Amino acid sequence: MQPQDVTKVFAPKLGARLLGVDPFEGTAGRVRFERTAALEAFRAARDDLGFHHLSMVGGIDWIDHREVLYVLWSDAARQYLMLSTDVPASDPHVESASSVWPSANWHEREAWEMVDITFDHHPDLRHLLTPDGYAFHPLLRSFKLHEPEELEVKTRHV
Amino acid sequence: MSEMWINMGPQHPMTHGLWNLRVRIDGELVLDVDPEMGYLHRGIEKISEDRHYNEVVTLMDRTCYVAGLCWEHLYILAAEKALHIEPPERAEYLRVLCDEFQRIGSHVMWYAAFVQDIGLMTPFLYGMRDRDLVLDLFQSYTGARMTYEYMRVGGVRNDLPPGFTGHARKVLDWLTERFREYDQLCVGSTIFHKRCDGLGVLKGPEAIAHGVTGPMLRAAGVRRDLRKDRPYAAYDRLEFDMAIADGADVTARYLVRMEEMRQSVRILRQVLDWLDAHPGPVLADRLPRWLGAPYAPVGAEGYLLKRKYPKGIGFAAIEEPHGEAAAYIVNEGGEHPYRVKFRSPVFANLSAAKTYLAGCHVADIPPIMGSVDVCVGEVDR
Amino acid sequence: MGRLSAPLPSAPKIAPVPSGPVTDARGAELPIVQAPAVPFLEIEAVRAKEFVPAAKEALTALIAEQGQQKLIRPVFNWAGRNSLFPLHWGLACCAIEFAAAFGARWDAERFGVLPRSSPRQCDLMIVNGTVTWKVAHKLVTLYEQIPEPKWVIAMGNCATGGGPFRTAYSVVPGVDKLVPVDVYIAGCPPRPEAMLDGILRLEKLIQERKE
Repeated sequence: MQPQDVTKVFAPKLGARLLGVDPFEGTAGRVRFERTAALEAFRAARDDLGFHHLSMVGGIDWIDHREVLYVLWSDAARQYLMLSTDVPASDPHVESASSVWPSANWHEREAWEMVDITFDHHPDLRHLLTPDGYAFHPLLRSFKLHEPEELEVKTRHV
Repeated sequence: MSEMWINMGPQHPMTHGLWNLRVRIDGELVLDVDPEMGYLHRGIEKISEDRHYNEVVTLMDRTCYVAGLCWEHLYILAAEKALHIEPPERAEYLRVLCDEFQRIGSHVMWYAAFVQDIGLMTPFLYGMRDRDLVLDLFQSYTGARMTYEYMRVGGVRNDLPPGFTGHARKVLDWLTERFREYDQLCVGSTIFHKRCDGLGVLKGPEAIAHGVTGPMLRAAGVRRDLRKDRPYAAYDRLEFDMAIADGADVTARYLVRMEEMRQSVRILRQVLDWLDAHPGPVLADRLPRWLGAPYAPVGAEGYLLKRKYPKGIGFAAIEEPHGEAAAYIVNEGGEHPYRVKFRSPVFANLSAAKTYLAGCHVADIPPIMGSVDVCVGEVDR
Repeated sequence: MGRLSAPLPSAPKIAPVPSGPVTDARGAELPIVQAPAVPFLEIEAVRAKEFVPAAKEALTALIAEQGQQKLIRPVFNWAGRNSLFPLHWGLACCAIEFAAAFGARWDAERFGVLPRSSPRQCDLMIVNGTVTWKVAHKLVTLYEQIPEPKWVIAMGNCATGGGPFRTAYSVVPGVDKLVPVDVYIAGCPPRPEAMLDGILRLEKLIQERKE
């Protein structure tokens, strides 16, 4: 499958909200779309192109905006497909993919707690890897780690 | 009605790692599960943003500690794509050697832990003994039993010692005999079948919908193996079969993993023959000096930051012993990666826990979770 | 140690033999059975009464002189160090070497070391792996559930000082921030022989225990 074949399926469904299908080495392409078209893009990828397996959902912090990356796999085409949408840092919302692929559930929980992207209509958006009530989103570039020498902490048990 | 939520973990002999399986039970019947992860979340993706490309390799060993070389390989494949570097062919075959011996080591470790969940003790000792033979091989050429730090961007750190291939072939002969013994102890026993047949069923369409990959998926009859479907390293030049079963239960997963070990032995014999016949370099030449150890330049710190390297994005996916693992590395031209994102197979396999655990009894949970082959380091990263 | 913790129970009271005839509710006479002159319990109490104080006096004198240091404490130390039961749990990569140490090649059970699943049955906690803030509360709870005397071995670089993950936001930089540690084993991961060496050093520490 080539990026042109992917564009042929996405363009009628998304129209102007499809920002482009770039070639990505080793995959069927990288589809960039606006976040309002998320659900149509997911359905087109799964039902029309046959990408039934959602491999991962990743969040990337680009300081003024955040990128949500979906990696899909098709057994029939034996290929990966990337979907990518940008959310502004001031209003980081995007539709959840868990109604289309149930495997998105945990991936979106992790993307939320790491990069602070809220997935609308997610069935269970809570902490997964960080403790409950952890106030930070660690993988934001503004979250800085300590130097090793600053880490002599004292706790009240010892 | 005596419904309650109980915790199996984080300290529980069943868990094989640091996670908590919260189950809602009604007497002995499991109604709902809620795996609670994050007890081993070490922020590997965040720490990697402060490391040089070759220094991240040390963290990858510890991500999945029973399959360290496979995760090193995954990261290195993605980093090489992001940095536009190609390894020499001998390095690719050496990486396959590492991967397949690691697959045998991981599956034997799985076997040793799984049989304890069934209730057996002797196969645990046999498994640890045989895994130690494989670890001795690793130690002879990487220098370590478990955290190898062997692969580098552009190849591997060093070549094999003389006489390695002969010794490796003896180990493979020994292991082939032992796999027959393992089968006698497990699937040759009626008690194993009474316990495990029809247990923890996860059918194909449901597995695909939940992102399950690896032996759990192939045990449901789905023909997907990234070494065949999207070959990497030297797998397109090697002959082997996919291990498929169609029971979708615990016994089927056991059979798939045993068959994968036999296919790994087959691959390794071909790789050892090739390595004997084709000497050559194991590390690409003309690598950038700022990649990190062993190329950390001597001199002032500021000197590094002035270098600008072409940007890139690297994506790689491998068939790790637990399933499909993927890495996505964003290279913004500096000497540290900008963002490193990993996909762990056990993460997805565990997220589907409700589908294969609902409706079973509490005493069935250890065999089923044993057959899932949980390695918490890669779930939590 | 060597001292009775509670006083002897006093002999039970026995009802006196009734003088006149005893009737039941309908007026029929009940036979009176003569109880034995000295009840059974009192006989035992008589024997215990004489023996126990004498034995107590003799042992107390013996122990007070030198037994506490030369008799009782060494026996307890010998028993404790040759039967260290660690908690059956693993945190991270060092747990795999911990498990390998219980295989047939580096048999740890020959030192009397046997992992137990319940902390109530343990006296040793081997912290083998990275400690995160999420698990810190559970780790301290498990430590407090282990009955005295108890020891902690910090196995590996992560338990000693955070290891390769020291700068991470979620990692406790060393388990000695949470519980008191007796032996540190360096390594990433330490080989099974190094873990056994750590256990032997702990045994030496226990051998020199004075109280």
